[in-house]
Amino acid sequence: MSLVHWYLLIAAGLWGIGCYGLIRGPELLRRIIALNLMGAAVFLVMVTLAARTDPADGVLHALVLTGLVVAVSATAFALALVARTLSESA
Amino acid sequence: MNFALAAVLLPLLAAVLALCWRRQAARLVWLSTLFSLLLALAALWQVVTFGPASMQLGGWQTGLAIRWQLNELSALLLLMTALIHSLVASYSLSQWRDAGLSADFWPLSALLQSALSSLFLSVDLFNWYVTLELLGLAAVALVLLSGKKALQAAMRYLLLSLAASLCYLLGVALLYGHYGWLDVPQLAVAISEEPVDHRLALWLITAGLMLKAALWPLHVWLPAAHAAAPAPVSALLSALVVKGPLFMLYMIWSQLAGPELAVTGSWLFLLTGSMALVVGGWSALRTPYAKVMVAYSTVAQLGYGLLALGLMLHLTDPAFTQALFIFVLAHALAKTSTFLAVGEMQLRLGGKRLSTFRGASQTMPLAMFAVAVAGGSLIGLPPSGGFVAKWQLLLPLWQHSQLWWLLPVILAGTLLSAAYIFRLVVLAFNRAKPVRPDFAPALLPQWLALLPALLVWMLAFASGSLLSWLGG
Amino acid sequence: MSGDFWFDALLGLLLLLLALATILARQLAAAVMLYVVFGLMLALAWARLGAADLALAEAAIGAGLTGALLFSALARQPKSLAPAQGAGRVERLPALLLCSAISAVLGWTLWQLPLQPQHSQLPAALEQLGSSGTEHLVTAVLLNFRAWDTLLELLVLLLALLGTRLVAAPEPAALQHWPLARQWSKRLLPLLVLVAFFVLWRGATAPGGAFQAGALLAAALVVLRLNGQLPALRFDFWWVRALILAGVLAFLLAGLLSLWLNWQPEQAAQWLRWPLPLAKGLILLIELSATLAIGLTLTLLVVGERKELGA
Repeated sequence: MSLVHWYLLIAAGLWGIGCYGLIRGPELLRRIIALNLMGAAVFLVMVTLAARTDPADGVLHALVLTGLVVAVSATAFALALVARTLSESA
Repeated sequence: MNFALAAVLLPLLAAVLALCWRRQAARLVWLSTLFSLLLALAALWQVVTFGPASMQLGGWQTGLAIRWQLNELSALLLLMTALIHSLVASYSLSQWRDAGLSADFWPLSALLQSALSSLFLSVDLFNWYVTLELLGLAAVALVLLSGKKALQAAMRYLLLSLAASLCYLLGVALLYGHYGWLDVPQLAVAISEEPVDHRLALWLITAGLMLKAALWPLHVWLPAAHAAAPAPVSALLSALVVKGPLFMLYMIWSQLAGPELAVTGSWLFLLTGSMALVVGGWSALRTPYAKVMVAYSTVAQLGYGLLALGLMLHLTDPAFTQALFIFVLAHALAKTSTFLAVGEMQLRLGGKRLSTFRGASQTMPLAMFAVAVAGGSLIGLPPSGGFVAKWQLLLPLWQHSQLWWLLPVILAGTLLSAAYIFRLVVLAFNRAKPVRPDFAPALLPQWLALLPALLVWMLAFASGSLLSWLGG
Repeated sequence: MSGDFWFDALLGLLLLLLALATILARQLAAAVMLYVVFGLMLALAWARLGAADLALAEAAIGAGLTGALLFSALARQPKSLAPAQGAGRVERLPALLLCSAISAVLGWTLWQLPLQPQHSQLPAALEQLGSSGTEHLVTAVLLNFRAWDTLLELLVLLLALLGTRLVAAPEPAALQHWPLARQWSKRLLPLLVLVAFFVLWRGATAPGGAFQAGALLAAALVVLRLNGQLPALRFDFWWVRALILAGVLAFLLAGLLSLWLNWQPEQAAQWLRWPLPLAKGLILLIELSATLAIGLTLTLLVVGERKELGA
């Protein structure tokens, strides 16, 4: 088994774990962490696919970088929303 | 292409300026929507006269650059975006002091317009991901303008929307892993040359987009979010935002699915579309709240879009592409009118329930007229735009007897939409609750709510050229 | 079996275990901590896969900033768990079966991906690298080949800030200033800022760039702000707004300038096409303003517009 295959399988596992966390919860904060795990799985797939060539595919790397910033922005927004939702219902 | 580029950049500039110079935000954004309407008209004119064009952003070769494609379809959708935005902006400007609409509405809606216009022009899978994310965050922020009561709905909308984007992105990563292209037309060529099993990628993309477009059964977030938002925002969300992912679904399935997969996919769209029509219509009929009813009507109406998409894939008949996009245009106009008019009546008469509208034909006849006229198009009464779309859908269906079961489904959907519209209209013709003697709602917002409803009936006169533009 | 093999095998399993523990941990605080460790391990994996840029970015943004955001959200979590949170929970067994099935199908599909890609954008990108105005491929893609993505991404960041302001989330509980921490942050600050600009400058030729630099800058600002060594940052201050919009504005101005310079009446305009002699300068200008904008936006996202502590 090659390095690429190994990390692709790990990514598949991470995606499943993220899905489980997203649908099981129970806390909103944990669901957001689960979403981040799913994001990490997607980015791992992209980075691993980029590693198939030598040198690694810089185009894919750039896409992952864009994706990372988008993910952190969305997470920040979601966390603020969670904090407000909880303080309203508490 | 120059005009289309300007139509994307102008709202973007307006949003940035509106954030810097907050006192003039409303006027700036309003002006930008009017100018971008002119620019979108010019772009359509350019396409019709000189033919389609495309632009490689940055001037690099295909594949390396993001590509924009301007053809009749994208020009029409660009025009729809600009038109709805200018109508909603005019309405909001005419009544925002009374409605207590936050000043944050203006930069957010301008960003929304820019993102949506870029989405309709782009044919790049990853660029679509970024615009989708932009669209989703802008939509959630706009829903939040309602304050506390929108928190739960916004929370759910945001989480589902993020999960949907990740599904989409995973699908895109799989496709890139197979073929190494992000440009959709190039990817289509690569797929047809060397078909491999890319089902999972397509299903992931489809699941993400169906969730984003609130297509049945992934619509659960829509009614709460659209009903909780302020009226101009609901109009933008229902009329435009859900159409972005629907357009992407059309592009991806029509270009990237091979003939075999297209038939399998068509069954999914036909079944979910039928369910959307019936279940959405039934829920709209049952709810006691006015805006929830209009929101469920969006769920139901998107069922027609799904049916048209499914039929297009199943029978490969271009008539269904025409039906799909005429439906998109007609629904955008009708839903804008409905949400604005219902919002205006709720604001002046006070109350969220349908019973608020008792006697509205006497207290606010103009707004009620707008609801009835727009409702006519939602039902599909001739000669409205909704009728043209439905006619375009039914006419070729007669010739394909194996899909006869769709006819009763469409009939049921039509009857249900007629039922919920008439439920409102009948209430409005009841004896009015007494209002204060000085009750005199402003007329301008009501006229502005009526305008898109009139436009959707005029769509029928333009249907000849619409059909020829969408025919290719 | 070589050492590399065992390293990757262990790292992969560790990633899975950490992810699982994050989801299953009883305490939310433990889950957040485990997630940060997970992010660092992921950065390690990416470094193994030849993505130095991304390892740096993941450590700074994915683990560092997301971790800071999560911890700050944890501090704002009310003590009693609201009952509404548990609603809509799927039973354990169906969820387990569903997710295992998803993982299996996904793993199967990924397994069948070709080990040698049929086609990739890499050769084209390498070929054009010389005329892109920068020598580092990732920077070239981000700021030239696919610059429109990056502009939209800056808008996403801006929207996150606008949305967060609309939410008006409660402030975290006030913390005591720690004299030692204040001393440390005073010493560390110049170093962090220096490193941030080094990373930015290096981005022209080697791994590094605006986003990593922005994240480092944000880290410095967050530490200072939390120690009360920086005046309050508020979106209402015009200079804060100007800096936050700087990235988008620089992009737009560079785009409009290039449109004007490339203008030919008969031809269609070309958006975001940097004229070759100016490309390096324009890219540097955009990166510099984007770094400031990203740094400040991320700072505001993490610390919010809290009032002076003790005031």
